[in-house]
Amino acid sequence: MKCFSKKHEYEGLLIVIEGTDGSGKSTQLELLKRFLQAQSYGVMVSEWKTSRLIAGVIDEAKDRNLLNATTYSLLYASDFADRLENVIIPALKSGFVVLLDRYYYTALARDVVRGQDIGWVKNLYEYAPEPDLVFYLDMPVDILLKRIIGTTGLDFYESGRDMGFSTDFYKSFQIYQQKCLDEYDNMKSEYGFISIDGTKSITEIAEIMQAEVQTILDSGVID
Amino acid sequence: MTKINEKHNLKGTLVCVEGIDGAGKSTQLTLLRDWLRAAGQDVIYTEWNSSDLISQTTKLAKKKNLLSPRTFSLLHAVDFADRYKQIIAPALKAGFIVLADRYAYTAFARDAARGVDRNWVRKIYNFSVKPDLAIYLDINPKISMGRICSNRAPKFYEAGMDLKLSPDPYESYTIFQGRVINEYQKMVSEYGLIQIDATDSIHSKQTAIREKLHGILAGKGVVL
Repeated sequence: MKCFSKKHEYEGLLIVIEGTDGSGKSTQLELLKRFLQAQSYGVMVSEWKTSRLIAGVIDEAKDRNLLNATTYSLLYASDFADRLENVIIPALKSGFVVLLDRYYYTALARDVVRGQDIGWVKNLYEYAPEPDLVFYLDMPVDILLKRIIGTTGLDFYESGRDMGFSTDFYKSFQIYQQKCLDEYDNMKSEYGFISIDGTKSITEIAEIMQAEVQTILDSGVID
Repeated sequence: MTKINEKHNLKGTLVCVEGIDGAGKSTQLTLLRDWLRAAGQDVIYTEWNSSDLISQTTKLAKKKNLLSPRTFSLLHAVDFADRYKQIIAPALKAGFIVLADRYAYTAFARDAARGVDRNWVRKIYNFSVKPDLAIYLDINPKISMGRICSNRAPKFYEAGMDLKLSPDPYESYTIFQGRVINEYQKMVSEYGLIQIDATDSIHSKQTAIREKLHGILAGKGVVL
């Protein structure tokens, strides 16, 4: 079965920004949103793990270390399904440009690193529409580490501490994020990511993304 | 072939009882539990939608009618996965008799009745093992409704009101649970569920279940 290749037939556009933590996704999302709004397009933003149904449960369960690899996968899949049905699809139907901070590629990378069978994870998300564009912000792990330490600090799950890779926080983060990067690398060509060097300046990255989006807009997919 | 189709090699014994509400599952399991404990067996009892992780969230979401067929399915899978990994699997490894009030088959029946793709749901649950004994208590929707709704109307999701089958909750219950039963009946051959008529007496059902379990335990060298 070919997975993750269901073209949607809605009026709107589905644009995804992927990348590991600290790769600059939210900054770029905000810039892209302003770029589109300046051209009078309706924009809807949805971030990973923000469903009204389940996001709070995930945060609490993570705080209390209650998750195993299977419940971790399934909770995120529940969050995704709720947002897809209640936010993303309705917006696409109404002709919005939907900008997503992470999509099922994130689940695929993280869950596989946590030891889940890749076919099992794909099945969880196979019903979801394929994005029109996927930008991937590619960052080497040492720069990621510096960024994360300088901003939010090393989180338990972001460091993959639940996996027991290493008792050393720094080492654990390095191993976990490197494994995630490897998974993203595997997906790049399979899913046609537009891979952008995340070490470029904010403006440079924004310009690359805007040019790609403009090409699609100019083709007249949205009136 | 997935785990749920294959005989497991764990030390313990897994028994589940399936059927729609009002079929008498918990009555039968309670009797079974007390009998097994009295016979000196180590028994663990686990119920559908009771995990610490998620059951309260699911109950609240149901109360507010927030669930689609897909999120309904996924949240119950979270509950099951949590109990499976924390309770069922460790207990089976340690040699317990695990009594499950509903198992993956509940999800297969209900979710399919809600129009969720059968294979999609079955794949989600393929981390779980096949029970040593899976009892299905067969009851028709009218009798089930008479038993559970003697003093209240059917609840939104148990009546399948989310599917808009009928504006009348009683009628909707009958149609929806009819679909669930249909799914269960198909699983009798698909998964080898042991079908028992739920309108038989409590005693006769219990006798039938004990007889089956006796044989299974004897096969594992456990003599009661």
